Amino acid sequence: MTPLLEVSDLNISFPRDGGVPLVPVDDVSFAVSAGELVALVGESGCGKTLTGLALPRLLPRGAELGPRSAIRFNGTDLSRLPEGALRAYRGRRIAMVFQDPMTSLNPVMRVGQQIGEAIHAHGKVSRNDARARVLALLAEVGIADPSSRIDSYPHQLSGGMRQRVLIAMALAAEPELLIADEPTTALDVTVQAQILELLDRLRAARGMAVLLISHDLGIVAGRADRVLVMYAGRIVESATTEQLFAHPAHPYTRGLFASIPRLDATTTRLTPIRGTVPRPDQWPDGCRFHPRCPVAIPRCLSQRPPLDEVAPQQRAACWVAQGVTA
Amino acid sequence: MTRLGRLGVVLLSVLAVFAIAGPWIAGDPNAQPDPVGASLLLPSHLHWLGTDQLSRDIFARLAAGARISLVVAAIAVSVAAAIGSAFGLAAGAIPGMSGRLLQRLIDLGLALPRIVVLLVVLAAVGRVHYPLLGVILGATGWPAVARLVRGETLRLKHAQYVTAAHALGAPSARVLWREIFPGTLPAVLVASTLGLADAILLEAGLSFIGVGVRPPDASWGGMLYDARDYISSAPWLVFIPCVALVMATSAATLLGDALRRSLQPETR
Amino acid sequence: MLRRTGDAIATALVASVVLVILLHLLPGDPLAAVLGDHPVAPDVEARMRQHWATLPAIFGGLLRGDLGQSIVQNRPVATILAEHLGPTFLLGALTLLIDFTAGLALGVWSALHPDTMRARFVGAVTIVGYALPSFVIGMLLVWVFALKLHWFPPGGVSDVLLSPDASFASRLVDHLWHLALPLAAMVIATLAVPLRQQRSAALATAAQPWVLAARARGISPGLVAWRHCWRPALTPIVTLLGLWFPMLVAGAVFVEVVFQWPGVGLLLAQATADRDVPLVIGGGLLLIIAVQLGSLLADVLYHVVDPAQRHA
Repeated sequence: MTPLLEVSDLNISFPRDGGVPLVPVDDVSFAVSAGELVALVGESGCGKTLTGLALPRLLPRGAELGPRSAIRFNGTDLSRLPEGALRAYRGRRIAMVFQDPMTSLNPVMRVGQQIGEAIHAHGKVSRNDARARVLALLAEVGIADPSSRIDSYPHQLSGGMRQRVLIAMALAAEPELLIADEPTTALDVTVQAQILELLDRLRAARGMAVLLISHDLGIVAGRADRVLVMYAGRIVESATTEQLFAHPAHPYTRGLFASIPRLDATTTRLTPIRGTVPRPDQWPDGCRFHPRCPVAIPRCLSQRPPLDEVAPQQRAACWVAQGVTA
Repeated sequence: MTRLGRLGVVLLSVLAVFAIAGPWIAGDPNAQPDPVGASLLLPSHLHWLGTDQLSRDIFARLAAGARISLVVAAIAVSVAAAIGSAFGLAAGAIPGMSGRLLQRLIDLGLALPRIVVLLVVLAAVGRVHYPLLGVILGATGWPAVARLVRGETLRLKHAQYVTAAHALGAPSARVLWREIFPGTLPAVLVASTLGLADAILLEAGLSFIGVGVRPPDASWGGMLYDARDYISSAPWLVFIPCVALVMATSAATLLGDALRRSLQPETR
Repeated sequence: MLRRTGDAIATALVASVVLVILLHLLPGDPLAAVLGDHPVAPDVEARMRQHWATLPAIFGGLLRGDLGQSIVQNRPVATILAEHLGPTFLLGALTLLIDFTAGLALGVWSALHPDTMRARFVGAVTIVGYALPSFVIGMLLVWVFALKLHWFPPGGVSDVLLSPDASFASRLVDHLWHLALPLAAMVIATLAVPLRQQRSAALATAAQPWVLAARARGISPGLVAWRHCWRPALTPIVTLLGLWFPMLVAGAVFVEVVFQWPGVGLLLAQATADRDVPLVIGGGLLLIIAVQLGSLLADVLYHVVDPAQRHA
């Protein structure tokens, strides 16, 4: 089955005057199929948010896509489309939910109006019909008593409710792909679970694909079909959730798991990954993780490992994982 | 310092040199050698910028005016900074009723439009010698400084090094003087530099409407006042002082902005 | 809201008091010089001094609408002020209107399209407006547009040669013709402030996540600019209104002098030069009240514009 979204060699660079351009996303490739929930995880600064923003072409000013980068959505390469044509995709085919519900909502506009905007932007709908749809959406995202909330301003809602509103806004035009960038980071733990529940439910009900971007491996377990691990602008491991959690292949992934406390085993000590995440202007040669890697071999210092299969349904960009010894 | 800031410094230096040395080089700004024959002359080697309607040398008047306008502005800014700092520190540091009262006083000072107060005072006292004019200008400009200093004082009161000083047992007054007051100086310096521009403009404006610097003292605003009726016949009489004014205020503004960027990086 | 109004009134009152006290504190007799030039009968003088001598006398007078007598013109101050209020109000109101519509629009525009010719033009205007004092701008305008190009009259509010029987339309046109340059001077002098403010507010809002979220929903750029940049950016600007009024007042004084526009500013300038103290104080009190009204207006608008405030 052809994937809904196929990203190949996504390369995002920021030119700097008098110097080497910054390349925070370096030749990233992955695919998402209809109805799948794919998680893109990594620490802050690894480029996952930029990757997410690149898909509906909402990169900040100054960002440039590499010449070989392709973002194929249902066959059409979005990276080649002009702005006007892209607008038809945004909201309607690809929707995005952002991280901070407080600042992602216009404070001087009622929430019903903001959700309605998305509906009106993608087709002629009467005011009454639109309002009815907004009410239905609010109910769908789990807001109790939608008719009393539809005319509220953002500051009158709780954090969890605001995030639900954001999701409702994203769903308003019935997208095929939903990109959720850290949808739970700004919320507390109990609400986090509810929101993730909601995303899962919506996905099943609408057959929508979801790309979940997060730094938290924990929320990914049990929900994602596949996980992509990102480090320093590159995808270093890609596997089904079961494979990843059972047998992480890349040293970085393993390091991540070792540094998370587990409830099912007695851990005497957490082992953090030594060193710190490199900055985009100071990326190491070869495998970017090598300065922090406990099993690095000489080749890692100079040659970039490709993202190759190391087990069924699992790929890792690591020489050691691929069985190279020198 | 940025390029623009350096430009400001250069301009101000040029003006200062002009103000100090100009009158020496140029001669008497009030001499009227030949009011009939030598009036409204265009620039020549004899009169570098020409003469006005009373045959006074414009270059000399401009230089003398520079001296006076700059001195007035400097006095104004210093007076405002002194009074404003005192009020601001007190308002910020003294707790309770007295502190609130002082804040109210500052707010009141801010509510009075500066130009109104100036006009009322000048209507009452008439034309005064220019240093006193500077003092009067300063006495109307202190509320803005006071508000700024009060804000800084409040901010610094909670700064770590102040808490540390208290923790070491230093008495409050000492902490105020030794730790807080110096912390307010960058803000005051920036505000004063920018205030210099305001003061120059205010003095020029007041002189322009006939209530500022007292003749025969020269001032740029006064030159504009004299030149009002000659704008069509001898427009340079009007525009030469204008250029000087713009140069001076731009210089002060550029310098002030540059100072703000380097001394107060947190204010964007 | 009520509290705020009370605050404004109180401030106006106290400010007026301070102004008068200030007068009494100054050395010498403030009335001496002007009485020297314009002597009045002893009983008139006595009444005048009585009027300004004590606070109850002043405020009693204020409540009655009596602001004393102008020494130079030998007429009630209140009457003189009333005559001059119109032109200043007209000039001020129009300047306000233009500054806060064009200024806001231009500010947002230049923030949304940085690095373009228009943005640079706007930047240049702000610098010019800041650097040139209002009277210099006025004189430049007079020189270029009135004296050199003869497009507009160099001053006054109407053509003295226009016959009193002339039609309303032609009188209106004549007034507008005379209004053009002083208005232009005022706008150029004061535009910089709301424009700069709005530009930085718009830049800040344009960077806000909700703008990105709106674009992500596929909303057209125009709508995004209006609904998600412009409106939220209005909130901080409204507070600016309160600070802008004093600037307007100062600008008015100088511009009116340059153009001989018969408003309160020109009146005040002349009265100060004449040292006609009662008139200056009367005018001053009027301006203090105007500034307080402006500040109050700003608060009311703030309430309207910011929904968060409305429910607070």
